[in-house]
Amino acid sequence: MNDLLLFFSNLRWQDIIDISFISYILFRFYVLFRGTNTFRVLAGIICLWFFQRIAFSIGLILTSLAIQGITAVGALIIIVIFRHEIRSVFQTKNLRTILWGFPRRNQITHFEIIEEAVIKLTENSLGAILVFPGKEDLTEFVQGGIALNGLLSREIIESIFWKDNPVHDGAIIIEGDRIVDVGAILPLTHQQDLPSKYGTRHRAALGLAEQTDALVIVVSEERRSVAAVKGSQIEPLHERENLTRVLRDHSGEGAEENSGRKEKIEFSAAALISFITISMIWFSFTSGRDMLTTLDVPVNYINRSPEMEIVDVSLNSIRLHLSGAGALLKSIGPEHLQVKADLGKGIVGKNTVFIDSEDIVLPPGIKLDKIDPSNIEITLDKIIKKEMPVQVNWTGKLDDRLILVEIKTEPSKVAVSGSMLRLNKLATIYTREVSLNNIRRSGKKTVELLVDETLTVEPDSDISVQVSFVVEKRDM
Amino acid sequence: MHERSKIYLYSIIFLIAAVVSDSNYSRAGENEAHKINGNIKTPVINYAVMCEGVKNHEPVNKATVFSVVKKKVFCFTDFNVVPEKTHIYHRWYREDKPAAKVKLKLQPPRWSTFSSIQLRESDIGPWRVEVTDQNGYVFYILRFSITN
Repeated sequence: MNDLLLFFSNLRWQDIIDISFISYILFRFYVLFRGTNTFRVLAGIICLWFFQRIAFSIGLILTSLAIQGITAVGALIIIVIFRHEIRSVFQTKNLRTILWGFPRRNQITHFEIIEEAVIKLTENSLGAILVFPGKEDLTEFVQGGIALNGLLSREIIESIFWKDNPVHDGAIIIEGDRIVDVGAILPLTHQQDLPSKYGTRHRAALGLAEQTDALVIVVSEERRSVAAVKGSQIEPLHERENLTRVLRDHSGEGAEENSGRKEKIEFSAAALISFITISMIWFSFTSGRDMLTTLDVPVNYINRSPEMEIVDVSLNSIRLHLSGAGALLKSIGPEHLQVKADLGKGIVGKNTVFIDSEDIVLPPGIKLDKIDPSNIEITLDKIIKKEMPVQVNWTGKLDDRLILVEIKTEPSKVAVSGSMLRLNKLATIYTREVSLNNIRRSGKKTVELLVDETLTVEPDSDISVQVSFVVEKRDM
Repeated sequence: MHERSKIYLYSIIFLIAAVVSDSNYSRAGENEAHKINGNIKTPVINYAVMCEGVKNHEPVNKATVFSVVKKKVFCFTDFNVVPEKTHIYHRWYREDKPAAKVKLKLQPPRWSTFSSIQLRESDIGPWRVEVTDQNGYVFYILRFSITN
């Protein structure tokens, strides 16, 4: 009980949104896909996954692996085989229906028009197949067909099935008060034991009715009879009232009130189950026995001034000691965590950046216990320009009788650009070695400056300097 | 020529000689001399030179290149204005790296002083001496080389 109270007291508003949002998505999937084959196969896959977890937990390794494989393939199969059904769910519904609407049953067909049309067809000895889809999509089962999408009328039905009409052999599909398709080819039934009185039209009607929840009305050309085909049953309709009853039953008009109440209960139950399921999943992730772990997370340096360069860091990653639910901790890696080192106040040279809990981004439900180490030494540098005096680097030996009393370089200073840390240690730019061995009198020399590859002599400064020197005789 | 005119002429010649003499010493040094601020208590450097020795309070054989064979090199500084008793430093650097720091006293009203270092084979290379006050203010920089 205490644990339960503790759990609810630790519940954050983000957690409630988290659970509610995912529960709603699950509920919407149910609403959109209920009654479809996809939903049934998906439910089967979820059951398989559940069995796989049980098999794994009790140590049935091979069974667990086999079910896991089947589940993985099954998920792929759903997408491939039921692609049309999935597409039709999203394509035929607008955004409002997908997000919060509830699919309505097909509108009540204008039964009288159909009844009159069927009577006229039988009177004129015209064969016909009229398909009234249920909740299931027929795209998978119906081939050919020409989209008409015309308003339903007795005359149109008659003219479609008139013998000279090129599409009179196919079926028409009626949705609400519209004829959606004409000349549709239906799959034939595989039943071998059909009575001989039933011809190809009946076989086609039965083929579709067996595989879907559609109602098919067949008008026989030879016997001038009418039959309703639903599921695997063929029901001869001798009276007009019978046709009315069949059509009304199929459209659900008679049971409208009851079915509306049932639907409300069904949706409420689905919403509740979705919420409970997601809550349980969330609970299993965020609670349970606490676990401890350590992760080495790379440091993300932020707010670095564009002119600054990082030239050295004492370490590349920080070790975080974390605690939380085992399931959560197992599912996270260094890529889910972020350690930020703020270089906004960094200066050229060595900087010590302290890392505290505010610099660490953790997934929800994870607790930070320790940061190791909690500071990083970072050396920053930037490119600067510095003007430095030039000094001649004399070598060799001057004649003992001479003395070099004065040296001048032209220019006396040069501008050099390079790393600030490097240039701060330099006070002089030296020339290449200049030999004293052959100097007998005052003179001038052009000498190159000695600048290493990390430094650049500024374009307006010359890499060479003119050295003037004054030599005098030594007082012996 | 009148006696008074002779006195004027000698005075002018003396002044010119003094100015020329001062400017010679300045040229012998480094053109990086810092201007002295208006503080009356700050010593004013007259000249600074590198030399092979010091004799009778005067530098001997002023030069900018010294052979390691000579064993010693001197830095001589002359302050023509020393308002009060103070200290200066001769900071010796070999290739920008500190090599020696010598503390020297200055006595009013005028004072010359010097420091020196012993030369070894490893000292061959470019050198400089910074003449500074106690606060690090640089009066003068002298550059020279130690060679074979």
